[in-house]
Amino acid sequence: MMAQGKAVKDIMVDVFSFPHIPYWFSIKQAIGIIKVSLLSAKKYPEPMAILVFDEKYNLLGTLGLKDILKGLEPKFLKPNSKSQLPGADDSELSVLWDTLFNKESKEAAERPVSDVMAPAKFFVEPNDPLTKAAYLMVLHDLVLLPVLEEKKKFIGLVRMVEIFDELSGAVLTP
Amino acid sequence: MLIPGKDKMIDRDKPQKLYIQLYNILKKNIENGEWSVGSQIPIEEELCKIYEVSKATVRFAVLELVRDGYLMRHQGKGTFVCKRVKHEGLAMSAGFKELMLEPGIALHTQILAQTVMMPTDDLDLKLNVPKDNHIIYIKILRLVDNDPVLLQEAYIPYHVCPPLLEEDVVGNSLFELFEKKYGIPITKVKNYFEVAYSKTDESKSLGLQKDSPILVLEQYFYSGDNEIIYIHSIKRPDRLRFTIELEKK
Repeated sequence: MMAQGKAVKDIMVDVFSFPHIPYWFSIKQAIGIIKVSLLSAKKYPEPMAILVFDEKYNLLGTLGLKDILKGLEPKFLKPNSKSQLPGADDSELSVLWDTLFNKESKEAAERPVSDVMAPAKFFVEPNDPLTKAAYLMVLHDLVLLPVLEEKKKFIGLVRMVEIFDELSGAVLTP
Repeated sequence: MLIPGKDKMIDRDKPQKLYIQLYNILKKNIENGEWSVGSQIPIEEELCKIYEVSKATVRFAVLELVRDGYLMRHQGKGTFVCKRVKHEGLAMSAGFKELMLEPGIALHTQILAQTVMMPTDDLDLKLNVPKDNHIIYIKILRLVDNDPVLLQEAYIPYHVCPPLLEEDVVGNSLFELFEKKYGIPITKVKNYFEVAYSKTDESKSLGLQKDSPILVLEQYFYSGDNEIIYIHSIKRPDRLRFTIELEKK
C-alpha cells in the first residue's frame, strides 16, 4: 500500500507501550519509574517517554528525558549562554558543567511532572492521513502524537519512526 | 542484631519460589524463639548476604511476614519481631465486600481519580507485580451529611481487568464488578487495621488537623493465588464504624 493511502490507525502504537503517571507525581518519582521500568529492564522504547494523565485518564502531556533534565537544571532552559554552543570555549563549559545538578536540582525534583511535561495540544483521529500526523509532528517538534477517537477517547500514539518509515518509502520507490 | 543459623539455607533446586522458602525459614526463626519477641531482625543487606538471595526476595519475604503479623516495621529504626495473635480457625461468616460499613447510614461517594499509574514505593510488592506493570488507580471519598469520613485508594493491576478503567465505580462496588460482571471470583481477603496519624494531604481530604489520629485499613483481595486488588483506606475516628463478623470454623 502506498504511504499516501495509509491512515494513522495503520501505524499507531499501543499506549501501554509507555509508562503512565498522573500529573501530581514528582519529577523524582518519574525518574524512578524510568530507571526501574525502562533502564534497569533494558527497555529503550522510541522515544523514551512517559505519558502524563489527569484524574479521569485524559492525556495531559508527555514527559521525555529532555523535559526531565530541563526541569532539574534551569540553566538548560537558557540556550543563549555561549558556553552551551558547539565549539565554545571548553574551560567555560567545564565551569558551567561543575555547577550543574547541584542541591537545587534535588529540590527541583520534588516539583510535579505537570510543571515540566510537554503538554499534549495536538491530536489526530484514527482515519486521518499519515501526512497530517507528519505535518503536526514536524511543525511542533513532537516526539509522540496522541490518537483520539471521536475527539475524546485516547486509543493510541503515533511515533516519528513509523511516520518516517512509511513516508520515506516513497522516495526510494523507483 | 540476630544472626540466624546458616544450616537453614535456600535450596535453589527446589521448585518453590525463593521468597516463599525464605519466608518459611524466617518464620521458623520466630516460632522457635531464635528471634524473640521485640528483637530487631538483620537489615535487608545482611539477610541478602546470609541467605545469598536478592533484595527483592528479602523484601517479598519480610513484607509477607509483616502482613501475617510476625514482624513490624518501625520507620527509620528497623524491623522487629512482634507478639502475634493467633487467628487460625477464624473465618468470615458473611460475604465480604471491600469494606463492611455500618448499615443504615447514607453515604455519598465522590470519585477523585480513576486513572493509570506505574507502581511506586512498595506498591509492586503489595500487589505482587513487576515494577513495569501498569496499575489502575481509583481514589474515592465517602461522605456522610457532606462531611468526608473515609478516603479510599484502590490499586488494581491493569491486566487483571482492563475495562475497569471505564467502569462506573460510584454505582457499583469493585467487588460486585469483579464477581458479577467480569466473572473474577474473589476467594480471599486479608484485612489489616492500624491506628496512625494523618499526613498533610490526608488531613486536608478528611477535614482534619494535621497529625490527627486516623484508622488505617489495608485490604488485599485474592482470586485463587493471584492478588487482584489492594485498597488503602483511612477513616476519621469520629464518624462511621466498620463491622466484621468472624466465626470459628
